[in-house]
Amino acid sequence: MSRTTDRAGRNKGQWIVIGFMAFAIIVISICTVIFRSYVRGFHKVTDREKYDRYYVMITEDRKSDFWQSVYRGAFERGQEENVYVDLLGEHLSQEYTRAELMRIAMSSGVDGIFVESDESDEMSQMIDEAVERGIPVVTLYGDNTHSARCSFVGVGSYNLGREYGRQVLKLASVSESTAPMTVAVLVNAHALNSAQNIVCSGIQDALEQEKIRGPEIELSLITVDDTNTFSVEESIRDIFMNEKLPDIIICLNELSTTCVYQAVVDYNCVGEVAILGYYDTDTILKAIERNVVNATISIDTEQMGAFCVDALQEYYRFGYTSQYFTADVTIIDQNNVGEYLQAQEATE
Amino acid sequence: MRKKFRQLSLQAKMSSIFVLANLVVFAVTVILLLGINSMSSEIDKVYQGNLRLNEVSDALMAVQDSMTDYLNSKTSDSLEEFYRNEQTYSQLVQDMSDEVTGATFQRMERSIRHMSEEYLDLVSQTIEAKRGRNVEKYRVRYENATQMYEYINTYIYSLNNEQFRSNSENYSRLSAAFRNFEMVSVIALSIVIVVSVSIVVKLTGEIISPLKDLAVTADEVAGGNFDTELLQVQSEDEIGVVTGAFNQMLISIRQYLESLRESMEIRRSLMEKELLMEAHLKDAQLKYLQAQINPHFLFNTLNAGAQLAMMEGADRTYEYVQNVAEFFRYNVKKSNDIVTVREELELVDHYIYILNVRFSGDIHYGKEIEEDLLDSCMPSMILQPIVENSVNHGIREMNGEGKIRLKVYHVDGDTLGISIRDNGIGMDRDTIEKVLGGNYHEEQSGGGSNGIAMGNIIARLKLFTQNEDVMTILSDGKNQGTEVILYLPIKEREKTDV
Repeated sequence: MSRTTDRAGRNKGQWIVIGFMAFAIIVISICTVIFRSYVRGFHKVTDREKYDRYYVMITEDRKSDFWQSVYRGAFERGQEENVYVDLLGEHLSQEYTRAELMRIAMSSGVDGIFVESDESDEMSQMIDEAVERGIPVVTLYGDNTHSARCSFVGVGSYNLGREYGRQVLKLASVSESTAPMTVAVLVNAHALNSAQNIVCSGIQDALEQEKIRGPEIELSLITVDDTNTFSVEESIRDIFMNEKLPDIIICLNELSTTCVYQAVVDYNCVGEVAILGYYDTDTILKAIERNVVNATISIDTEQMGAFCVDALQEYYRFGYTSQYFTADVTIIDQNNVGEYLQAQEATE
Repeated sequence: MRKKFRQLSLQAKMSSIFVLANLVVFAVTVILLLGINSMSSEIDKVYQGNLRLNEVSDALMAVQDSMTDYLNSKTSDSLEEFYRNEQTYSQLVQDMSDEVTGATFQRMERSIRHMSEEYLDLVSQTIEAKRGRNVEKYRVRYENATQMYEYINTYIYSLNNEQFRSNSENYSRLSAAFRNFEMVSVIALSIVIVVSVSIVVKLTGEIISPLKDLAVTADEVAGGNFDTELLQVQSEDEIGVVTGAFNQMLISIRQYLESLRESMEIRRSLMEKELLMEAHLKDAQLKYLQAQINPHFLFNTLNAGAQLAMMEGADRTYEYVQNVAEFFRYNVKKSNDIVTVREELELVDHYIYILNVRFSGDIHYGKEIEEDLLDSCMPSMILQPIVENSVNHGIREMNGEGKIRLKVYHVDGDTLGISIRDNGIGMDRDTIEKVLGGNYHEEQSGGGSNGIAMGNIIARLKLFTQNEDVMTILSDGKNQGTEVILYLPIKEREKTDV
């Protein structure tokens, strides 16, 4: 009797042992297979998705928040449309000018180019050449009206100028001094950038048409040298070295806003100079909060990027597209800066 | 399969177990080695992309150099070199990706491919212009081509950098995974080895266990226990054979022992029979001797003598023969029986009469009897031997007139005493103790007595009375006489017994 149970127990034990060994071998095999497939995963490109079209964006200062945001907008819209948008030059070891990047883009066989343009002839030629090669070009932020570009996406510069003008008038109306108020607009040395001129005329018009009371306002342009890499900052410092500082400084891009803000702090001119900034980076928003910068313009940059893709998609679909796309512009000042700061914190 | 395994020889079994265990370990090791091998080859592949890009870069440089060389010297060798390089490069370029994907590398590759195509186009146009000696054209084209060459180079360099960065990341992740796999492998291998060793131990233990059982049982048998349980034959290997043989041996031993026991039994019964036969023979011999001295025969003979004496008118002879006859009759009737005191006294009377006739009335015999005790019971053949002792040892060896006085009296309510007193030579204390202890042996037991020793008398009295204190012997010393006193319970004989 005990023998049979003994044997049954032994059989059971043997089966357990055999089962365990089989299990061990299976586990090891599975581990090997999993590991091998894991290793293979490295060689496969994680994002194997193929895209229908390939657009590139070419800008002067691609590292700034402004352009990064524009690119993000374009990229996201591109994903929706199954289009890949690259910020050209981002992965390259060498820095190229816009013209060079244009040439690279043309040679790389892209399906479309968004370029931060100006009114220069070189740019016109480039754009024309690209269009000749069958690559549609959208000018972005700065237009090149003489070229064969299919569309322009930008800020309504005239409206922007009027908005600045209104802000200047607002500042003037609260000013107690009766002496003429000097307003300096920082413009880039590239006078060919037509957008600046339009902004300036917008400011001018606003000052002339909407002025009700307050001191006389003198509008002047200060040219900032942007031809070299670090010249913008130096030129702005030069302004502060002068004896006579303007009462209001209007900046027309992100970099100059940041530089002016820093210079005002460094030269201890807070309160003496009112600053109207451009774009809503973290730094600029904080400066508004601290009341160093009076107001700034918020541009819906992502919308701008999205418009670029929309324009080209439309062009490919219908053969033509709108000549102008205008991104929304909002003024940020002491009253509403809190919301923007909160929104930015939330996105972070 | 189990059955087959059980049929294998011990060596085959052991070998198969070891081979199986080693095979399992070997299989696991091979699997692990394959895994490690494939992993290391994967790791080798990590930087393959970079190597390919270097190749592309070298080929591009060769194209550019050979073109420059041709433009400089316009030799047919350099032109040949150029075409060869151009061929190589365009082949390399053809292998590049032409897809727009989410992967930066592939988009960069695509750009390189497109630019290279344009570059090759420009280069051939330059060569064409050079051959056509269109100086203006080839100079411009050369510049364009060189510019393009630089762009491509930058792209290749950047792509190489990008790939290297990502590959390095992959490499470190791979090598981390590799290390993990190594750890897992070592653990898995150890587990498998431990398990296989325990299986070997278990299986060999199972194979050996019948041998152990056999050893234990053999030890028991060696210790003399043949009734131990028979072993179960579990396998058909050598151990099974030995176990079977052992079982057979045990059975044989048991059978042999059984037959041995039976034969001994037979011999014993034979011996018993023999002994019984001998006893019967002795009995028969005794019966024969007894028959020869039959007291009835003697008594009847004497009776016939007495009647003859009476017919002849010899009264004294008649009386004497009558007494002798009575004496023998008592012996015939009452030996080993319960009798009354009266009957015992009559026997003493006959005995004294016979003695007085034989020895001319030397013995003065007197009695002092309490009549009511005469019917009390006592064992037979008690008083006569005592009187005989008194005569033989007390009176016969003295000078003068011997006297024997017999007294029967009440000792207390239920005990009677019988005293036999002589005036003979007396007894010393040692002799008395010896006699009472039953250790005294007369030198001539068969001499003049009836052969009934004092020891016998005492033993019978003790049996009768169920009492140790049955006799006292009193003697005041040499020539002072001896008194033997018996103590008996007063017990009337029942009528039925008469």
